[in-house]
Amino acid sequence: MYNLLRFIHKHHFVILFLVLEVLCVVMLTMTQNYHRQKRINTTNDIVGRIYETGTHVGDYFRLGKINRELAEENALLRRQLAVVTDTTQGYQQVINVDTIYNFIPARVVNSTVNRPNNYIMIDKGRADGIEKDMGVISTDGIVGIVTDVSPHYASVMSLLHSFSNISVRLKNNDEQLATLRWETTNYRYGTVDGIPTHLRLHEGDTVVTSSYSYIFPENLMAGTVMELIPSPSGTLNKAKIKYSTDFASLKTVYVIQHTNKAELDTLYQHQNQQEL
Amino acid sequence: MNRFFMNIVRFILLVIAQVLLVNHIRLGGYVHPYIYLIFVMLLPINMPGWQQLLLGFAIGLVIDFFMGTLGMHAGATTMMAFCRPGIIKLVSGSLKFDNIREPNMEQLDFPWFLRYTFCMVFVHNFTYFMLEGFSFHLVGQALLRILISVPVSTFLILMILYLFSPTKKVRGER
Repeated sequence: MYNLLRFIHKHHFVILFLVLEVLCVVMLTMTQNYHRQKRINTTNDIVGRIYETGTHVGDYFRLGKINRELAEENALLRRQLAVVTDTTQGYQQVINVDTIYNFIPARVVNSTVNRPNNYIMIDKGRADGIEKDMGVISTDGIVGIVTDVSPHYASVMSLLHSFSNISVRLKNNDEQLATLRWETTNYRYGTVDGIPTHLRLHEGDTVVTSSYSYIFPENLMAGTVMELIPSPSGTLNKAKIKYSTDFASLKTVYVIQHTNKAELDTLYQHQNQQEL
Repeated sequence: MNRFFMNIVRFILLVIAQVLLVNHIRLGGYVHPYIYLIFVMLLPINMPGWQQLLLGFAIGLVIDFFMGTLGMHAGATTMMAFCRPGIIKLVSGSLKFDNIREPNMEQLDFPWFLRYTFCMVFVHNFTYFMLEGFSFHLVGQALLRILISVPVSTFLILMILYLFSPTKKVRGER
């Protein structure tokens, strides 16, 4: 025992170093697994508040751009409003998007685009009704999914993440279903996976969200096709797409609250139980 | 006590500057300049090793909390603190540190700071990008990032050290 203590005392520098490094690797592996990551809370209000203060300062230099964006969005909403009020009332009675989806506006207080896994922090949290697994969109297209919530802030896993996996449709091609991933390291381009070989893709074809997910409403813009990447084995092709959202200059986003989410969750659980 | 207070202020200012300013620099996505390493670089030279390790770990962990990379920066700064005595010995040669309490621009010359900064940044970046690369299986890319980020960080750190070195301008060239 004495020898052990003497050994520790003699080599305390190296031992402390090893202990700290092992601790780091343990923390790292805990957060590298998607399912475990969901259980660890790394979003906290202090960090959020500091980022928010920084954003406030930065915003003064961007007021012009923010104003322009808001004006553009206003114009878009006015156009859409005109269309909606013109259509017959019957359509709205069958499916009223307003009652299924609620959009909570939030501001981006911090975001990254140049890491292997990117996150966005927004200034709305549990107190504002944000929960895990809610979809996040911008005026240009889909942005990501909420993975972590603190009382007043939330972390969003952006599309620029190795776990990002979104069900999409190729709009001009028989509404073919495919999966959107991020396999490049460039924040502007993503990959659409699982395209049947018989499909002819054209540059500029639109990629939108499918109806197979209750995180995002149907038909939200995801990006446009850049080029087809033929599969070496000749089975399912991939395509390089350009995201419609500019992740490097995100300012205002909307969190999508599905009003029937609790109901859907129980349905899914029942379904899973029956399968077991 | 004064020195202790000074280090706390340096800790806070560097973390704020890192997360609010420097993290927004992205040239092509490969450049990751880290200036918060200055904190570990300027710790007193004769400080007990275990204290250097713990302080290095602490600033790395705080940065990790901000960046959502739990463990990566902490691992890299701990490695940096561990290698620091060796690096100082390596870059100093026969230089004596009898009356130098912490690295400073008045008592040490530019070539010394260049060698010291480069080695420290390299150890940090190497550990950081390896931790990042191994967890994502992108080792080739990690190496490319090291190659680009080390010179940029070294340049930024030296610039900051010169800007904030209090008596440098008064004394002029030596």
